[in-house]
Amino acid sequence: MSSRDWIVALTLCRRELRGGLRGFGVFLGCLFLGVLAISAVGSLGRALEAGLASDAKAILGGDVSVSLTSRDLGPEEADYLHGFGETARILSTRTMARAGGASVLVELKGVDALYPLYGSLELEDGGDLQPLLVERGGLAGAVVDRDLLTRLGVAVGDEISVGESRFQVRGLIAREPDRVMDFFSLGPRLMVGLQGFRATGLTQAGSLFRVEHLLRLDGRDAAQTAEAIRAAYPESGWRVRDFNRAAPRISIILARLRTDLTLVGLGALLVGGLGIAGGVRGYLGGRLAHMAAMKCMGGPSRVLFVSYLAQVLFLGGVGALAGMAGGSLVPWLAERFFSEVLPIKAQGGLYFAPLIQAALFGLVTTLAFSMPPLFRAVMVSPSGIFRGYISADTGRMPRAAILPTAAAFALLAAMVFQFAGNTRLAGWFVGGTVGAWLLFKGLARAIRWLAGKAPRLPWPSWRIGVANIHRPGSPGVSLVFALGFGLTALVAVVMVNVSLTRALTAELAQEAPTFFFMDIRPDQVGDFRLLVEKEQGVTRLDMRPMIRGRIVRIAGTPVENATVSEEVSWAVRGDRGLSYSRDFPSGSTLLRGQWWDKDYSGPSLISLTSDLAEGFGVDLGDTLTVNVLGRNITGTISSIREVNWRTLAMQFAVIFSPGTLDRAPQTWLGAVYGQGEAEALFGRVTAAYPEVAVITIREVLDNAAMLMRRTAGVFQVMAGVALLVGFLVLAGAFSADQHRRIYDSVIYKVCGATRRDILSILVAEFSLAGLFTGLGSLILGTLTAWGVVQGLLKMQFTPDLSTGLLTVLAGMGISLAMGLLGTWRVLGKKASPFLRNE
Amino acid sequence: MNISPSVVLADVHLTLTAGSGPVNILNGVSLTVGQGETLAVVGPSGSGKTTMLMLMAGLERPSSGAVRMAGADLTGMGEDELARFRRENLGIVFQAFHLIPTMTALENAALPLEFAHHPDARRLALDALEQVGLGNRAGHYPSQLSGGEQQRVALARAFAPRPRIILADEPTGNLDEDTGARVMDLLFTMQAEEKATLVMVTHDRNLAGRCDRTVVMHSGRMEDR
Repeated sequence: MSSRDWIVALTLCRRELRGGLRGFGVFLGCLFLGVLAISAVGSLGRALEAGLASDAKAILGGDVSVSLTSRDLGPEEADYLHGFGETARILSTRTMARAGGASVLVELKGVDALYPLYGSLELEDGGDLQPLLVERGGLAGAVVDRDLLTRLGVAVGDEISVGESRFQVRGLIAREPDRVMDFFSLGPRLMVGLQGFRATGLTQAGSLFRVEHLLRLDGRDAAQTAEAIRAAYPESGWRVRDFNRAAPRISIILARLRTDLTLVGLGALLVGGLGIAGGVRGYLGGRLAHMAAMKCMGGPSRVLFVSYLAQVLFLGGVGALAGMAGGSLVPWLAERFFSEVLPIKAQGGLYFAPLIQAALFGLVTTLAFSMPPLFRAVMVSPSGIFRGYISADTGRMPRAAILPTAAAFALLAAMVFQFAGNTRLAGWFVGGTVGAWLLFKGLARAIRWLAGKAPRLPWPSWRIGVANIHRPGSPGVSLVFALGFGLTALVAVVMVNVSLTRALTAELAQEAPTFFFMDIRPDQVGDFRLLVEKEQGVTRLDMRPMIRGRIVRIAGTPVENATVSEEVSWAVRGDRGLSYSRDFPSGSTLLRGQWWDKDYSGPSLISLTSDLAEGFGVDLGDTLTVNVLGRNITGTISSIREVNWRTLAMQFAVIFSPGTLDRAPQTWLGAVYGQGEAEALFGRVTAAYPEVAVITIREVLDNAAMLMRRTAGVFQVMAGVALLVGFLVLAGAFSADQHRRIYDSVIYKVCGATRRDILSILVAEFSLAGLFTGLGSLILGTLTAWGVVQGLLKMQFTPDLSTGLLTVLAGMGISLAMGLLGTWRVLGKKASPFLRNE
Repeated sequence: MNISPSVVLADVHLTLTAGSGPVNILNGVSLTVGQGETLAVVGPSGSGKTTMLMLMAGLERPSSGAVRMAGADLTGMGEDELARFRRENLGIVFQAFHLIPTMTALENAALPLEFAHHPDARRLALDALEQVGLGNRAGHYPSQLSGGEQQRVALARAFAPRPRIILADEPTGNLDEDTGARVMDLLFTMQAEEKATLVMVTHDRNLAGRCDRTVVMHSGRMEDR
């Protein structure tokens, strides 16, 4: 094309746009919603990450954190750390708090006078922390989460017991700056002073507690300091972190959530693509005569193509800009109105990257979906204007459109891969989208085919209504795609949530232990066993020793340099529970190698679970080195076991042969199975062994179920956006078809159809199309949910009938409502205005 | 034997309200057409010819006066009653054909019979199509037919129910002379066979000459020619 052709094309474009944006409501609406969804999710994600980063020091508690388990630093080690700057010390553990016969598992934290080094601990009444923790009248103070008061039935000013000590509750915690580090806590917070913590007796040798030294550096670089500390004490078993990686688990979860939600938003945008295509088709449909006339006057097709493409892209820019504007407000809204609800404070501001990304997705989607109708319109033969019927061929895609359309979609797919940062996930999304498109297209064809093959109904209105489903130009296809994706996504999300919640609360609860007991001293094991086993309702008691340690080498390679898959990276982050055993653990299956003899006493052997073996890339004969209380211990992998972690049975990923860890400071764990009267066991154990922490599994499962429901809720919102986009697309499709529908209704009137006849035709067409769409969505959504729950998560899938029924009814109802809207009025209108020649 | 007239308009007035004030479309039109008679209605554009035809079809309501078609008083009928009346008694042919674009020729022709729940709707419609020479095009859509063929389908639709009265609004207005002549031959042939009353609006003097009688509409008033 010459430069003059470009000028002509753009001039035509400008003149056409003078007519305004009428008729582009659905186009702009779909684009706006899709871009808004993606940009809102992206912006909020970035705002939370920024909040995490800006509060990183407060979240970590310092510039650098050095943590160790069940022991404190030696004098030399302490002096070494103090040389870097100010140091605050924190002790923490899980234990039981008691008051008036009630006991509750709490997250106990002991802080020194310098806490917090960064940020501030906010109390509900606004006071300062340190004065509340000091000893007064022989009683140390504590500040607690409000939840603890409710569960123990105490109030501020009352006394509670922890271990061997008593505390007075003097304040309620409103916000704890470093609480987000304990992402999944098992109980409310109870904060005391360091001395008070020691007085509980929970720091004796063998007890399970964590010591954390937080450094505020004197101008040094945090990452370099952390590296120097690791290098200075490589065998110490410390976990050293700098504030740049304050909460890696949270960051990973945030990033993953952002990716997943963005992909759902992108799915909604792709549904909106139908509305975009429909809008372009409708717009160009009204200009076919213009194009034909311009061609008759010598206008080349390529000039017309460029002109109309420019118009479409301009309008795409308008829609994308509006979506970006909406999305850009979300961080500010989150900071201002949702700071109490979010676990991390969102940092308001303008985050350009997700906005631009969303806009690009919007524009490329516009391009991809506009190609076929653009090509069809521009390729219309000008001779049609002499026949009186001029229409673009709505059948097959023109050949010339195939390559550009494919290129635009390929670009979209490439953008998904680039954005997702996870080839597997991106592959699933792209493949899933193509699969869904094929399935929905197949479903639309099936519905049309069924309508065409339907037996001749005795009622003419229903016969015409059914026949309308498979007529050329019927909005049936749009209905299936527009409603189908949103309904399918909703069904899938709801069914996954229902299945997982049931699995957690019902099925898992049946298999899982009733209680976990922690911090049982070795000398208490015998009596503890006697106490529990004689309790009525107890059906089983598993007891195992636990030693805290860190995996420091994998097959001789330091963990920092080893290749560890993401799925098992948890195993090398921080301390793990290690165990030793003579007997093969129940609930495990031996996959490879051999279990040692009961009286084995040779070099250290390790039995490793199959998931870790695969994730570490090790097998029989490889070594694993763990650090226990500053001492490195290396064992050879002699067996690999398969463990089903989902039963919540007491299992250890790393089990040593006898003779290696037997004399290490340890505590014992107990897992009790039982029902009914076993609940009374809780009171008896906590009374006899006040320092033993008890985890009630039902509470944990309920919390997990609640977390899952909240997460599902977020996905349901996004699926709802997809449905909203679907409504718009449907509105557009029906609107485009409305004139024909009204015209048809007028002719029916002329030919003697009563209003009831016309209404019956409309009801037949829309309710049947909606019914099949609802059924198709139900089947696809259920299959998707089944694939996720049973295939991916390996849990029991339970379809939810009420969801199924609602889906089908929703499909019919929405279709009927949308179809009747606008057409309804023709029933009472005069036919003559539509029939006049003059 | 007294045979009641097919069409009776008695002092019919029609006033439409436009943005700038009321517009008198028909100003006291009175007309009687006998059973089997053919009547041409001529007059300049805007004289009210089409509006009068719409009144006869029950697609407009008079502001005052009476409209009796095939012995039935249309002015007192509701929408659904009028619809039933049309499918049992009237056949209408438009200048712009007004076929349903997404229905085949056969389906278009069968429409009034289907709404009347006629058990042989499709057979009668096919017969009508064959009568107009389009039996072999029954499965074709309007976009696949020429203008003349579309108008013939419209004729088939109008005649298939064997109506007592045919109303035609410039049926050849969108056709060339030869095609129009062929369509009109068909129209008059079918009218004669069915002994139906024909009221036809036309600008064509030759066409008007083929009718038994011609009336002239002028500014909403009627004169016999």
